[in-house]
Amino acid sequence: MSVVSNILPYAVAVWLFGAGLYGIATSRNLIHLVGCLGVCQSATYVLLLGLGYRWGSIAPIFYDHPPGTPAVDPVMQALVLTDIVVGATLTALLLVLTIQVYKRSGSLDPEKLRPMRARQGSDRAEGSDRGHDGKRTVL
Amino acid sequence: MTLGPSALLPLPVAIPLVFCAVMLATAHLLPGRLPDILATLAALSVAILSGMIAVHAADGPLVYWFGGWEPRDGVHLGIGFGVDAASGWIAAFIGVLYVLTFIFAWGFFDRTHGHFHILMLLFLAAMIGFCFTRDMFNLFVWFEVMSVAAFALTAYHLEKSALSGAINFTVINSLAGFLMLGGIGLIYAQTGSLDFEGIASAVGRGGRDPVVAGAFCLVATALMIKGAIVPFQFWLADAHAVAPSPVSVIFSGAMVSLGLFGLAKVSAVVFAGSDQVQHALPTLLEGLGSITAILGGWMALLQRHMKRMLAFSTISHAGIMLTALGALSPAGTGGMLVYVVGHGLVKGALFMIAGILLATRASIDEIALRGLGRGIGPAGFAMALAGLLLCGLPIGVLDQGTRLVQGALWHQERWIALAAGAIGAGLTGAAVLRATGRIFLGLGPDPGDEGGAPSEDEREKANRPLWVMLGPCCVLLAFDVGLPASLIANATPEAASAFMHQPSVSAKAEGPAWLTWISVALALAGAGYGLFRTRLPKLVIRPLRATQSVPTRALELLHSGLIGDYAAWLAIGVALIASILAVS
Amino acid sequence: MTPRIRVALLALAGVVLLPGAAAVITGLPPFGATIAQYGERINAITPEARHVANMVSAINFDLRGLDTLGEEFMLLAAITGTVVLLRGRRGEGNTERALRRPGRAVIPRSEAVVLVCRIAGPLTALFGLYVVVHATVTPGGGFQGGVILASGTLIIYLGEGYAGWRDAVRSHWLDGLEGGGALLFTLCGLAPMLTGAAFMQNIMPLGTFRDLMSGGLMLVENLGVALAVAGGFTQLFLEFMEETREADELDEPGEESA
Repeated sequence: MSVVSNILPYAVAVWLFGAGLYGIATSRNLIHLVGCLGVCQSATYVLLLGLGYRWGSIAPIFYDHPPGTPAVDPVMQALVLTDIVVGATLTALLLVLTIQVYKRSGSLDPEKLRPMRARQGSDRAEGSDRGHDGKRTVL
Repeated sequence: MTLGPSALLPLPVAIPLVFCAVMLATAHLLPGRLPDILATLAALSVAILSGMIAVHAADGPLVYWFGGWEPRDGVHLGIGFGVDAASGWIAAFIGVLYVLTFIFAWGFFDRTHGHFHILMLLFLAAMIGFCFTRDMFNLFVWFEVMSVAAFALTAYHLEKSALSGAINFTVINSLAGFLMLGGIGLIYAQTGSLDFEGIASAVGRGGRDPVVAGAFCLVATALMIKGAIVPFQFWLADAHAVAPSPVSVIFSGAMVSLGLFGLAKVSAVVFAGSDQVQHALPTLLEGLGSITAILGGWMALLQRHMKRMLAFSTISHAGIMLTALGALSPAGTGGMLVYVVGHGLVKGALFMIAGILLATRASIDEIALRGLGRGIGPAGFAMALAGLLLCGLPIGVLDQGTRLVQGALWHQERWIALAAGAIGAGLTGAAVLRATGRIFLGLGPDPGDEGGAPSEDEREKANRPLWVMLGPCCVLLAFDVGLPASLIANATPEAASAFMHQPSVSAKAEGPAWLTWISVALALAGAGYGLFRTRLPKLVIRPLRATQSVPTRALELLHSGLIGDYAAWLAIGVALIASILAVS
Repeated sequence: MTPRIRVALLALAGVVLLPGAAAVITGLPPFGATIAQYGERINAITPEARHVANMVSAINFDLRGLDTLGEEFMLLAAITGTVVLLRGRRGEGNTERALRRPGRAVIPRSEAVVLVCRIAGPLTALFGLYVVVHATVTPGGGFQGGVILASGTLIIYLGEGYAGWRDAVRSHWLDGLEGGGALLFTLCGLAPMLTGAAFMQNIMPLGTFRDLMSGGLMLVENLGVALAVAGGFTQLFLEFMEETREADELDEPGEESA
């Protein structure tokens, strides 16, 4: 096999991860960001399946072919199955967070969303802050 | 298969899972306090079982093969748990921390139909699995279960800051998971095994191999992200500051240190045979650890939001643990393991005090709370004690860990790590003591640089009597102070050697006693400066303030809370680790 | 940090990492040349040892069953988290009115859609069941089948509308399904320990190779996963759909029920 096909899947995995990371770093929309995270994750799918592949082998199911037929690595396939579940859980959770962020701030831009900010104005007037009950977490 | 003590190994993981499944299936039927009771019982059984396992493991590591798939002809077919005494004790400590957290949070989450308890128990089961497993992919699975439970728990308040903290946490830690999985794929392709021992023997056979180094780089990055090491630390402050206080107790007390615990295990067991990795480790761990210790301590001193301050203090202590790992000796690793327990006990207690303030005084802001702590004096005593313990007051488990760590570093003449550790501990202690003075004694009317730090009004439900919240906190501190020192001193060297799969050595070095006092003095000086700045002569204040303010603003700017920045830093961190590996 | 500095940092990291990545890629065995010894060994011994044809299922439910247990509970954690976070604001009640976007016409559901969904829904569910029960002989399994089963309920929603679907599907049944399935799986691990065997040891009769009833304990575990996944994904769908309903009051009562 040629040099290109020897390394192609691994190079694709590296490329996918890099592209996803670039997307995350520059994203201006949370849903886009979730998608970019998915791109990063697909790098792991490609890598694992690529590492478990062997030319001229069957899928590791010995129903139509007798046991002993060369098959690809079943471990990698099982790992990818778990990885897919990881992807599903992360996407679900992140989308929930996105929905709640949108409801709370009306924006999906991660640049406008900061965890905690310095308070404006003087702090010695802490009593005045207490007035806005709507802004407080009541648990 | 076996009916010996090994047969206990699956239980600390399986029992919380059974409780979770039952609680979920009957969620709408469970009356009032039943989830609290069930969760506490589950955590208690985990603590007891893990303690029993640890006692049995003192005679030699216990191994358990799931599904009865024992290795055949040198090929590891199934998943194994391998527990040495140290892993067992760490698991028992985590169990105890959960029991006390559940008591602390009694009734706090009463309207969720036990969903909070389900998440917490899953979190617990994942942590125990993470401690016990000896299989790379299984380690990843528990790592992810831990993450997923933690993501959901962080956003619980549904405030804007909580949501964005949770998003940062989720994205960065998911990337950590992907990197880890990539690393596992590489090491599996190269060694043909997923078992720690199987990989280790193949790595030892193979010489210098870029694939092994690459795999280590990815796995180590993932674990350092969990362990909040610079430059991966950004998510931690965002997440810990906004999580509900009982959740923060677990995050800071156990989850962060577990990342480093995993790093210790992986680098000492799996990659022990790779000279390239072992040569790179001291520089890497000492360098990153020292920066982390100082940066965390400095940032802690600049905070006014107490949970955020404690979060940065956790970063600082994670740095100290990392320098201990950098010693690559059983003494250093043993010290680190003791340190994990001591730090978890003290930091857990401090987050509980933050929770008490949130519930009884309806604020978490140090400056807004000035003098408001007068009615709850016992909490003030506990906080002052915890602050002193944090900076190195020479009693208790944390101090014992500190001295072991310092001994190992002193022995190897790692002055930078020693200095960074002492300064970091001093700075975090100063931050806690300053907050204690301000909140409980009403000192420090004029805030310094911390006045400009981010903060937010927050309140937690005050539906519990003070003693229910203060009790667990005092028990944690009592554990730290009261655990007999001789017991730990006797068990540690052997446990650390077994943990690192190295022959036991009895040499035990301790650092000089004055080193911890330096941290204490630094803490007192820092707290004193923060509280009595106005009474000092101008000549002293001006240069101090000038040197303080500029780096302060720069650091606060770096912690921007923007996920894009964090992703860029993550890439820089991976590149840094890769270059250190490449040149060694 | 401006986006430009950020991209510059990323590019810097990329330039530093590129030689490393190249070294790793060239150090790996060439793509498609060989597979690891572990996988080879499993392919060699499992058909005889466990009488199953599908190696991936054998790994997921037997050799590395603990991973799948963890994965199952990861899903459970995500769904529980979703429920907690979505209900935290909304509360648990469900309202009758759907959110309408002003200006967008409401097109009634055509009879053709209803008919197609009524036919496709049960067929999808049947296919899901088929995939579930053939875990050990075809590329099926509890997870895949469970997701297909859950999408069957989704088709029913498309045909019947949300309100009717919501009345038919109770959230706590789904909780029961999900928790019950996960419990069944965990008990499959614990039960063999009562007989002195290892956790999740396959002590049931293994059946005949290439038969539907092969694999012993794997079939039960598979069923547990299918139940949990079907319940879990339907729950996920239900909670997300509930977000499209109009809130009862505007003063966010959920804040206090968190």
